[in-house]
Amino acid sequence: MMIRKLLALAILTYKEGVRDRALFGIGLFSLFMMTGSILVVSMFMRELHKVTVDINLSAITFAGLLLSFFVSINLMSKDIDRHTIYSVLSKPFSRSQYVWGKYLGIMLLIITAMGMLTICSSIAIWFTKFQYLVYFQGFSWIEFYKAVYAELLMFFMLNALIVFFSTITTSSFITLLFSISTYIAGQTIEEVVLFLKTKHAADMALSKGITTIIDVVQYILPNLSVFDLKTQSAHAITISWNYLAAITCYSGAYSIVLLIMASLIFNRRELK
Amino acid sequence: MLEILIKNISKIYFSEFKRKKKIAVDTVSLSIDKAEVFGIIGVNGAGKSTIIKMIMGFIRPDSGQIFVSGKSPSDPDSRRRVGYLPENPYFYDNLTAREVLMFSCQASGLDKQTADKRIKILLKQVGLYDEQHQKLRTFSKGMTQRAGICFALVHDPDIIILDEPMSGLDPLGRKIVIDLIDDLKKRGKTVLFCSHILNDVERICDRVGIMDGGSLEKIYTKDEILETADAVNNLEEIFLKTIGRDE
Repeated sequence: MMIRKLLALAILTYKEGVRDRALFGIGLFSLFMMTGSILVVSMFMRELHKVTVDINLSAITFAGLLLSFFVSINLMSKDIDRHTIYSVLSKPFSRSQYVWGKYLGIMLLIITAMGMLTICSSIAIWFTKFQYLVYFQGFSWIEFYKAVYAELLMFFMLNALIVFFSTITTSSFITLLFSISTYIAGQTIEEVVLFLKTKHAADMALSKGITTIIDVVQYILPNLSVFDLKTQSAHAITISWNYLAAITCYSGAYSIVLLIMASLIFNRRELK
Repeated sequence: MLEILIKNISKIYFSEFKRKKKIAVDTVSLSIDKAEVFGIIGVNGAGKSTIIKMIMGFIRPDSGQIFVSGKSPSDPDSRRRVGYLPENPYFYDNLTAREVLMFSCQASGLDKQTADKRIKILLKQVGLYDEQHQKLRTFSKGMTQRAGICFALVHDPDIIILDEPMSGLDPLGRKIVIDLIDDLKKRGKTVLFCSHILNDVERICDRVGIMDGGSLEKIYTKDEILETADAVNNLEEIFLKTIGRDE
């Protein structure tokens, strides 16, 4: 019964998201970028496969980000903003079931969108490869799909963050701000930590307070840069299965912890 | 048999910045029996919706206890036999009325065959059958309100809680809702609703509670209302007298 209820809420969320007009805009924009990649590539003289893979993976990431920031936030926060949640929670759902059901629905939407974009990207790459076969000797489909999978893991985590922020904030705009800030911080935190370990940073004599804050923050913030495998994929560098397994566990564990925290907070929240 | 029991509940809201205190509900006690239609009336801000939100478990009382079918509102099971219509219901824009109602049935554990049957009957009753495949964003306020009533009733609940069910309805819509509540009453369902439209409350309620400033000032039975005043607008007179604004 519980699974049935969760699925009912997930499918409701998915249907609402998949018919969002913004989704069509995002889809069209991505298709435009992918088709554009076929034309743009012809302007390059060498390493065409790198340019093709880079543009296509970037288009997938960009579309996923737009989808997360504009459609996912609407699906969760607007429920609370517009009080649609009253109707949903009038059914025998616990608050935790609501959080998990919503997240499942959002993930279904992300998986569908990523699936469609991957198919379109594959067609664009295949077409370019067909035209310029000689430049695609170093290209690997497996590495390309591994990079797409890593992006999907990143979106699992990012959307868990969005659900988490939706449960602690009172408006969708604040959720958007928090989510974008965390995404930027999550993409750059590794670079900051690595920089602090260099000789340049040692010369800067940062205060102990700042280094302590960065030390703590690096464990709290999600390290989203580990999911960015565009460079490896573009250069057809083999990404080990162990690495994929590790980032899968990282994304899964981080998302589950976030959703448990979101459920706990949401259980306490008053829906005025 | 008691369906809803409220014991000395209070709720205080604080404004976000100045932490200014506002007593939304002040030590309210109330019990509603099975097959009873109970109406709450009061001016804006009297605390009617706050009580309903506490019964539904959306907010918690600062003190006191609430039991719905003997269970606390924090237990999702307390809502298994409940149908609820919020004030100004807002549904998902991109879904159709049928999809939203199907969700209501699935979430309440109805099988598809029963759900299809119930959806058809209710949509016909509220006059939305021809619009069932239309997206909800194309619905007018009255149509959304009627869809909301279907959402609350589609799983055939035993306890029905309606927050301003007549809001946004034209005279025909009001008549449909009154007929629906009458039908629920005949079928032995328990109905709790709040409204501003005193005539409707007077017509369909077995008992009426009058709220003012967060307090439940008085509860009248239908007979008491009829005895207290003999004018046409019985309840209006009683209401104004009870809240002390009859000059």
